[in-house]
Amino acid sequence: MRYRRSSLLYLRVQRRPSLCACSLSGDMYNNLGNQAGMQGPTTNPQPNPFGNAFYGAGSGLIRGGLGAYGEKFLGSSSEFMQSNISRYFSNPQYYFQVNDQYVRNKLKVILFPFLHRGHWTRITEPVGGRLSYKPPIYDINAPDLYIPFMAFGTYIVIAGFSFGLLGKFTPEVLSLQLTRGLAGWFMQVLLLKGLLYSLGSGEAPLLDIVSYGGYAFTGLSLTMLARLCWSYSYYFLMPWMSLCMGVFLVKTMKRVLFTEMRSYEKHSSRQHYLLLFMAIAQFPLFFWLGKVAAG
Amino acid sequence: MAKPFSVPQVVFQSSAVQPRPPPRPASPGLPFMSFDLGPAPSSSSFSAPVPGSFEDEPPLLEELGIDTRQIWCKTSSILNPLRVEAHLHDHADLSGPFLFLMLFGLFQLLAGKLHFGVLLGWVTVATLFLYAVFNLLAGRSGNLDLHRCLSLVGYCMLPMAIFSAASLFVPRGGVTIFAMAAVLVLWSTRVCTGLLVELASCGDELRGLVAYTCCLVYTGFSLLVIF
Repeated sequence: MRYRRSSLLYLRVQRRPSLCACSLSGDMYNNLGNQAGMQGPTTNPQPNPFGNAFYGAGSGLIRGGLGAYGEKFLGSSSEFMQSNISRYFSNPQYYFQVNDQYVRNKLKVILFPFLHRGHWTRITEPVGGRLSYKPPIYDINAPDLYIPFMAFGTYIVIAGFSFGLLGKFTPEVLSLQLTRGLAGWFMQVLLLKGLLYSLGSGEAPLLDIVSYGGYAFTGLSLTMLARLCWSYSYYFLMPWMSLCMGVFLVKTMKRVLFTEMRSYEKHSSRQHYLLLFMAIAQFPLFFWLGKVAAG
Repeated sequence: MAKPFSVPQVVFQSSAVQPRPPPRPASPGLPFMSFDLGPAPSSSSFSAPVPGSFEDEPPLLEELGIDTRQIWCKTSSILNPLRVEAHLHDHADLSGPFLFLMLFGLFQLLAGKLHFGVLLGWVTVATLFLYAVFNLLAGRSGNLDLHRCLSLVGYCMLPMAIFSAASLFVPRGGVTIFAMAAVLVLWSTRVCTGLLVELASCGDELRGLVAYTCCLVYTGFSLLVIF
């Protein structure tokens, strides 16, 4: 694949005749730069501290202190990464290692969690002496951030359509809906984090919790899309999606708690009641986020 | 009658276009700038007698970095959604996007909606979103930078500007406008994805994921036109 891509780039240097005689003097150097950049992944053409924060070294230094989650300390020496933020946010690159197949299967798991026949635990692998989780490409149960972001965007766009078909669309209303969506996501994250703290284990990475909280927007977007087609579908699809999300969260949080908790506190009734509360709390959250009629 | 000042005689010459230069006063203390009228008789520009500064200046557009021929080449390459010519977009510029956004805003204005500020804000947010998602997806091999991202998003806004112009003639709320929206959003998405994947050296397996992101961005902009 790599050789094929580099040969394609090489072909492009020998210019094919274009429709207009534009000056292409800078292009050849750019293409050669691309080729060199691909074969040597450490040569980064843009000195971009923000960009370095995103694609860190694959097997860089691993910073301890977060239990089973290995936090990779990025190899760049920019001020941003040396600040305290890197202690609270694990490497975001991990959550975007996705492909088509993972996205399709994960959507099936989120929307129909009853049909997931396999286990729900995440696969671990020893990396540099510490146990860390496999990235989402290799593990269907790993959280990712691509689906939550895309689902949130879909939610905003479909909310815009709903407003428009009601005749109440203005750009300000869409911004308001964006803020509401973000507030809902934040409340979901607070709920999950509160649950983890009250059950004694607050060490799950923040981005994991953000990711689990953001999966709610997939069911929500689907419901709102169905409501655009037939308005009565809302009344049975919304409780169904809340229920599915509740089941998904319960199963996922149980696994998260399993890895963190001490053995004599597993299967306690307090744990079960709190998980049930979390599942029931999905219903008002979904209804609040899905309400666009009042504007 | 004795005049206090010596007034030169005014002679109207029928063939001459240029006025006669006024004579210098006798006293040398007064600063007087003589206007050099240049060699061409039809030139009406006055240049100060500083050696070689005005004629040697480059043309204004070239000085601003606006290459109209390149903009036209890039525009005509976007007008064909089936063939993506990425080598034309290697050199990112922002004047084409600025032009398309102004056109979009103009057609929205003709429809009665004042959306220039909204377009500015939404394009900024969309660019940041696309930049973040694309670089995180592509990992180590992605080399999209903000300037190029903004340039690509702006150039692929051309179908949206066309949509805004066409929607002026179509009845509101009908099926036609939704069908047109679908076609033009797909056009924008296809061109944007093709350019991103080619230019920023992303793998082909991420094409679908990047395409969905672009689709969301342009559907958002089409909302401005439809409603």
